[in-house]
Amino acid sequence: MTTRTNSLQEARLPLEFQESHETLSILGFWLFLASDVVLFSSLFAVYAVYQGRVAAGPTPLQLFSLGPVLTETILLLTSSFTCGLAIFMMRRGRTRPLVAWLVVTLLLGLGFVGMEVHEFVTDVAVWGTWHQSAFLSAFFTLVGTHGLHVSFGILWVAALVVQLLRYGLTPTTARKVYTFSLYWHFLDIIWVFIFTAVYLSGKIT
Amino acid sequence: MTQVQRPPAISAPTGRGDEVEIAILAPRFEEHAFPWRQIFGYAASLILTMAALLLVVHHVLPPVGLIVAILALATIQASLQLGLFMHLRESLGSTWHVVTLALAIVVALGIVIFSIWIMSFKSGVS
Amino acid sequence: MAQLIAKLFPSTVLRPMEIGADASILLAVLAVVYILTRYRKWGWLWREWITTVDHKKIGIMYLIAAIVMLFRGGVDALMLRTQLALPNGHFLGPEHYNEIFTTHGTIMVFFMAMPFIFALFNIAIPLMIGARDVAFPKLNAISFWLFAFAALLFNMSFVVGGSPNAGWTAYPPLTELHFNPGVGENYYLIALQITGIGSIATGINFLVTILRMRAKGMSLMKMPLFAWSALVTSSLVIFAFPALTIALALTMLDRLFGSTFFTIAHGGMPMMYVNLFWIWGHPEVYILALPAFGIFSEVVATFSRKRLFGYAAMVGSLVAITLLSYGVWVHHFFTMGAGAAVNAFFGISTMLIAIPTGVKIFNWIFTMWGGRIKTTVAMLWQLAFIPTFVVGGATGVMLAVVPGDYQFHNSYFLIAHFHNVLIGGVVFGLFSGLYYWWPKMFGYMLNERQGKWAFWFFVIGFWVTFFPQYLLGLKGMTRRIYTYPHGMGWTLLNLISTVGAYAMGIGFIILVYSVVYSWRHQERDLTGDPWDGRTLEWSLPSPAPEYNFAVLPEVTERDAWWEMKQAGKTGRIPAKDVHSIHMPRNTPMPFLLGLSFFVAGLGAVFSWWYVAVAGMMGVFIILVSGWFDYHDHHEIPAEEIRRNEAALGRLEG
Repeated sequence: MTTRTNSLQEARLPLEFQESHETLSILGFWLFLASDVVLFSSLFAVYAVYQGRVAAGPTPLQLFSLGPVLTETILLLTSSFTCGLAIFMMRRGRTRPLVAWLVVTLLLGLGFVGMEVHEFVTDVAVWGTWHQSAFLSAFFTLVGTHGLHVSFGILWVAALVVQLLRYGLTPTTARKVYTFSLYWHFLDIIWVFIFTAVYLSGKIT
Repeated sequence: MTQVQRPPAISAPTGRGDEVEIAILAPRFEEHAFPWRQIFGYAASLILTMAALLLVVHHVLPPVGLIVAILALATIQASLQLGLFMHLRESLGSTWHVVTLALAIVVALGIVIFSIWIMSFKSGVS
Repeated sequence: MAQLIAKLFPSTVLRPMEIGADASILLAVLAVVYILTRYRKWGWLWREWITTVDHKKIGIMYLIAAIVMLFRGGVDALMLRTQLALPNGHFLGPEHYNEIFTTHGTIMVFFMAMPFIFALFNIAIPLMIGARDVAFPKLNAISFWLFAFAALLFNMSFVVGGSPNAGWTAYPPLTELHFNPGVGENYYLIALQITGIGSIATGINFLVTILRMRAKGMSLMKMPLFAWSALVTSSLVIFAFPALTIALALTMLDRLFGSTFFTIAHGGMPMMYVNLFWIWGHPEVYILALPAFGIFSEVVATFSRKRLFGYAAMVGSLVAITLLSYGVWVHHFFTMGAGAAVNAFFGISTMLIAIPTGVKIFNWIFTMWGGRIKTTVAMLWQLAFIPTFVVGGATGVMLAVVPGDYQFHNSYFLIAHFHNVLIGGVVFGLFSGLYYWWPKMFGYMLNERQGKWAFWFFVIGFWVTFFPQYLLGLKGMTRRIYTYPHGMGWTLLNLISTVGAYAMGIGFIILVYSVVYSWRHQERDLTGDPWDGRTLEWSLPSPAPEYNFAVLPEVTERDAWWEMKQAGKTGRIPAKDVHSIHMPRNTPMPFLLGLSFFVAGLGAVFSWWYVAVAGMMGVFIILVSGWFDYHDHHEIPAEEIRRNEAALGRLEG
């Protein structure tokens, strides 16, 4: 199974690409993301079709308040940036800054999830549950699925920090951090589309 | 400061993942001394987000135009994330994930656009 | 307490037929437990099978599960046909009939055809492309156990709680809580969700395996066609299943958590479910059919003793079918009335698929042309496939004609069509693959004479069953009716159809008998190459050793093993070329993960949230502990491999 690439390449490739079987995981993870793109697109399709089907519940215009959403967006964009810095530090072989940036990423992610939970709780308190309308059902499901992904990412990065502290920077841990970063940036992209196609377009009348 | 590194090109597949089947799928690794790319990507994403927000808040365009404009801005932002943060060209062997991702985007667009079209019931038959 | 018992054992699970089935299952389980205990095989079962990550063993487990499920789905089918044999049948009540056709369809698609295909992928693909395992062996085992526990969960429904009864497509609003208050649909939704996760993982696994782990020299255009079919099928899986995940999830949220996706009064649209379901559903048809095409391409070349005709065209048409299959899904619901433009678009795209499929049919025929054909059982299934599939494809084009579809839709014409392609295309292909790779899996040949009996019973039975159904459809008989009165002109055709179904059942029994008979009496395959094969799996002993290839092969041509044999490069392995090999270590983690999903699923089915949360906690704990497992490989020393290869007579000197 395990075959190492030749030493010529080993000297030049980033750590996470040095062991062939680790790079299989990177390709596999990309394929998972491709599959997740289709998952989210199905939810976007549902949302697009249900956007105007508000029954007796609130309309998007009534429901959304852009202020908190903008804060959530900035938190997530910043966490994507700090995650990029973590990879930058990893490429330079610097474990401590890597761990530090990952912790910052984690905290920003927590902030995002906290705000989103707050937003949902407020929405339900003011407007009632998703039982009200197909629009509310679609909104909570699409945005909630993204939120669940982010929450899983937080658990993942916490476990990564522990692994980095315990095992140091090896081809295996480097690969794990690299795939996490793909996941995190991917969630950022999904959020950009949620921000645009859900929140902003809900304010267009 | 920028060094572009390429793994040695190997023409025949070796099963060890370092084959290059199709030239445009050849991988490429990049390393820099200062995180300019990340900073640029971050700044660009903030600017694009604010631009979309302002367009909508001030109703700069008619509704259809607005939707097209903010979706275009989102697409630019997504490609920046992919290119600058996600190191799209990095791979050992051919960058098959680029092909897969392209297909995924085609399928995703198909699902959204066709679903909207199908579910709009532009028919008196139903 | 009484409430709980009423929930667990509603009247639908206490009918005599169900109790009889329960009793026979109980007896079978007791027999297995007795045998395992009597012969002290529990440890063997755990070490060799439950914790294995070896793709060959996982393939065999998939195969056994698929055949058990084929039995159950087949019994369901015979019950349906018995009920319909004569007018005003009393064998099944209407509710019972609904449950049986629902479980028949669901089991055949998700728990028979899918695992059967994954079985053959697992068994053949790594060997064919010269790899020592799949890319992610542990994930492969996880996929299997998710499937196995999902199958268990789904099949539990008729023992505890009641079967789903809204058809295998489970359209709302019939599946909404208001119209369908039992737990049956919950079983359907959650079991399919669990097995769906496993399927996506399998798709990723085989894509990476095929893209990255081929033998040296095996470029994409030198791959065996079965590997090509696995490649495109895997890509279909990863792009199609998410839509099903969402369709099922939305229904589940409606039923369990009060959302209103499909509640019309709250703005929901049941047709959105139908749309999502078929975004998955049509590619799914090709997820089942393309591997069968791959199998036929191997079988026809081997037993015609010729290279496959038009290799590049075969690959091109596989890819074309894959891409087209994403753009045709509306043809499953033309009658929804989405509008002339929508229906015209999807009608035309559907007809286009006939073109690459036709290319493939001609290429198989031209491969046989001028070949020295050996009519083994595997080849017979291929020969039966071609005319059967052509008829199925042609009636498919008839259904794609939108105005015609308004007549054919939901009639027995449709039933006949899709059984024509799914049995004539997929099941024939799987049986062909079963006979073809059986010696590679188990090291012995299946009895050809018995295999031919099974073949003739099954194929003739198939035509006797389904041809009358085309006529029934044209005479106006619709699907899912549990009985019909005298004087409709349907009686004789229904009776003939039922006779055919029993003939297929006899064919299946002969096949199973033949497997057991051959195990005891049939010759062993000592050469590893009983068919004079063309691809790399036949270069290995039967069954292949744990590490597959002691020395990884190098490929220069298509049909690599055939070329090696022509060039006389099939000698023994020099001892100095053998090195130690890293292999994945067995682990109970996949089994435990499946078990946790099962517990969580069961909790969700009955809305016992403590159980569900406990199950999900189990899932998380197992996942996280897996992240910290850095010792999942072990090394097989070179000396052990040399000893093993010497014992097989494959080592030089």
